[in-house]
Amino acid sequence: MEQLKTRTRHKPTKSLQVDPFKLSAPMGATLAFLGVHQCMPLMHGGQGCASFTKVFYTRHFAEPIALQTTAVTDVTAILDGGDYSISESVKNIGNKVTPELIGLYTTGLTETKGDDVSGIAARMDVPLVYVNTPDYEGGLEQGWAASCSAMIRQLTRAATCVDDNRLVLLPHVSLTPLEVEKIADLIAAFGFNVVTLPDLSNSLDGHLGEKQAALSSGGIRVEQIRDLATAGLVVSVGASMSACAVELQKKNPQMRHHHFPHLAGLVATDELNKILLDETGFHAPPFQVGRWRDRLRDALLDCHFALGKTRFAVTGEPDQLAALTAIISEAGGKVAVVIAATDSPALDDLKADRVMVGDLGDAEDQASDYDLIIGGTHVEALADRLGKGMLLRGFPNWEQLGNQLVYDCLYEGGAYFLCEVANIITRHQHHGKQR
Amino acid sequence: MATKPNIRELLVESACEHNQTKKAACNAPIPGATTGGCAFEGAQIALFPFADAAHLVHGPMTCLGASWETRATPTSWPGVDLTQVGLTTDTSLNDVVFGGEEKLTAAIDQTIERYQPQALFVYATCVTALIGDDIDKACREAAARYGIPCVPVHAPGFVGSKNLGSRLGGEAVLNHLIGTLEPETTTPFDINLIGEYNVTGDMWQYAHLLEELGIRVLASLSGDGRITAIRSAHRAKLNVIVCAKSLVSITRKMQEKYGIPWISLSFYGKRDTSAGLLAIADALGDQELIERTQALVAREEAALEEKLAPYRQLFAGKKAVLNTGGNKTWSIAAALQDLGIAVVATAVRKATEDDRAKAREYLGEDGVLMMNPGAEQAKLIDEKGAHILLAGGRSLYTAIKKGIAFIDVNQEKKISYGAYAGLLNLAEDLKAALESPVFELAGRRAPWSS
Repeated sequence: MEQLKTRTRHKPTKSLQVDPFKLSAPMGATLAFLGVHQCMPLMHGGQGCASFTKVFYTRHFAEPIALQTTAVTDVTAILDGGDYSISESVKNIGNKVTPELIGLYTTGLTETKGDDVSGIAARMDVPLVYVNTPDYEGGLEQGWAASCSAMIRQLTRAATCVDDNRLVLLPHVSLTPLEVEKIADLIAAFGFNVVTLPDLSNSLDGHLGEKQAALSSGGIRVEQIRDLATAGLVVSVGASMSACAVELQKKNPQMRHHHFPHLAGLVATDELNKILLDETGFHAPPFQVGRWRDRLRDALLDCHFALGKTRFAVTGEPDQLAALTAIISEAGGKVAVVIAATDSPALDDLKADRVMVGDLGDAEDQASDYDLIIGGTHVEALADRLGKGMLLRGFPNWEQLGNQLVYDCLYEGGAYFLCEVANIITRHQHHGKQR
Repeated sequence: MATKPNIRELLVESACEHNQTKKAACNAPIPGATTGGCAFEGAQIALFPFADAAHLVHGPMTCLGASWETRATPTSWPGVDLTQVGLTTDTSLNDVVFGGEEKLTAAIDQTIERYQPQALFVYATCVTALIGDDIDKACREAAARYGIPCVPVHAPGFVGSKNLGSRLGGEAVLNHLIGTLEPETTTPFDINLIGEYNVTGDMWQYAHLLEELGIRVLASLSGDGRITAIRSAHRAKLNVIVCAKSLVSITRKMQEKYGIPWISLSFYGKRDTSAGLLAIADALGDQELIERTQALVAREEAALEEKLAPYRQLFAGKKAVLNTGGNKTWSIAAALQDLGIAVVATAVRKATEDDRAKAREYLGEDGVLMMNPGAEQAKLIDEKGAHILLAGGRSLYTAIKKGIAFIDVNQEKKISYGAYAGLLNLAEDLKAALESPVFELAGRRAPWSS
């Protein structure tokens, strides 16, 4: 969360959030730990913090979510400095399952009462990573990124030499499990052995396994996290993740870092391919990559009629907004309003008329400026009420299934995305005329 | 804080049957082994359905950000449906350090000016309770400024479970709203519905039957509820608790304070719906009304039977295993039986003693009450030859392994299973599950697996 303290540019000063889509840092930490194999996320807070979060993600992913709580009560809030509730939790979790890692993270409640989780964690004799994520600071991206940094700081072994065939991918929280897989696949096609932290691509991708485990199933293994600093390259995607890459480089200054604000659209995907070519000495990417590039270029031409006449409002997490704004702009769409859940450097250079940190109350107040709104489930009521076109993206999406299979990035995802948006615009205009 | 309710007293509610037998009735959660919502969620469940009131959550983002617009509790209120509007002060580090009262007052002003609600509820949460923000004072001053009821709700998550929170929400209504307004008219058959939240329109499945009988719902806590109505709820002749033990303290106190008797019932399934309607008529004590109700029940049951006939053929001989918690352990069982499906086992691990007794009553001597459903259900499916498993998402794998149909009963439901008409919805969903090819296909072996 350190990176945000110096920036004030988009800082909200409101006393009241109306129809918020901001999500808390502990919720981001939850997802990060679900991207670790056989992990039990343990939220240090009241039972409701974990219960709300569990229901939230169960509905979003249509999958059971492994998550436990230290269940702080009004009594333990006063009498216990966290030792009792955390050690009891670890014991009780251990009675039922044997996690390879416990991800311990705080909430507003336990930060307000001032629990020293680092001290408590040091006294635990189970594999455990702790992280401070008060929900009165930052949001989803900060909780996710802070957890990644904590895992690197506390688990990854320092190293001095590197294996140039190995690459660490650090994806931001809004990339879907399938998108993470597709990015890793593309990089692997250049001959790299890719390890992703956190890796939701095989834990929350909605696969039917042999049985439903009480822990996260899939994700990066703890042993792989310990070994991260021996990779030659680290690739971070999203402004929220660059600090994690820096954290990793502290473990091994030999590691080289490439950062991408996002991987949506033609230009950003070109940039990724260019760097992969430079790094490997390949002359061209695999045939299918080029083929998809041709398809995306064709989609840009096919879709620009619809997008070019449309004014967009995009709402959500900053790193996802950077991606959405870029690809919409590439197709000639006019992004009129960007409303972010939290402040972030990702918001600094967006191609948009107005960029702000806010809520759907703000989107409602600016309704005359846009024709189509992009966001999570909560935008649906607004779009219906105001007669706007709508595309559901980001957290939460409780109305639609297949959120883990949404694929908007790289050449291929970009082509799908543009066609989907163009079709929504056409249908919306058609229905609008019928009204 | 004068309006803070006495939690100790609420935990040992004398009208709760389990408190006659056990000492520590209302469970302290076990660290690392707890599921289920907190007191704030309970208060939200109990009060958010008032769509004509604004609901302002004074706390950090998890409390409201993860929870607004999650419960489908429809309303006929013609104005903005404030149930589905998310309002929070989004407590920041600055507020934690310097106090959040100033921000709260500004948020209250903006809320009332933006939406002009009939009332305002302000919810304390763990963080704002811990830093000691005085929501009573903020509400008192706002009520004076705007001339609408402003109700502080003291149910921060860490005081206990969802049930306790619902009870605390009920206390807030009792202390700040009920008895503050006289109804325009009264009838001899005025009732209040308590704990009916109209989830997926459950209440509307039977409200028209009450109306036809001449029974008037004076006020509802809080499904399709109105603030003006709940303020005059003290003039009702009868309080009816619908499937919600948590609000029993409010009805007991209304009996003591206003002399209103109360009954507790469920509108789930045919038998319970009929029994519920008759119980209301009985409690109101009018012979003509009782006879009218008997006639209506006979008519509705006959009409339902006619519509159920095609399903009955399909369901004949079918057996179900039920793995859920709370009142669902028996209410769904009763509904399944009404459809002609035998319930061979139900999980009672997460049920009160009262619920267990009811489950035994519905399942009979041969039915199995599972205390450890995770381990027992697979075996029971084999032993009893069950055709369908109704459970939470984690049990899906058991059903697929056994090659039987599955319904997720713990998911937020999208369609009402309430009363007579709801039973048809349940029948349709069961039919779809029993006839669906997916459970077998999903368990199909890959051609390359040995």
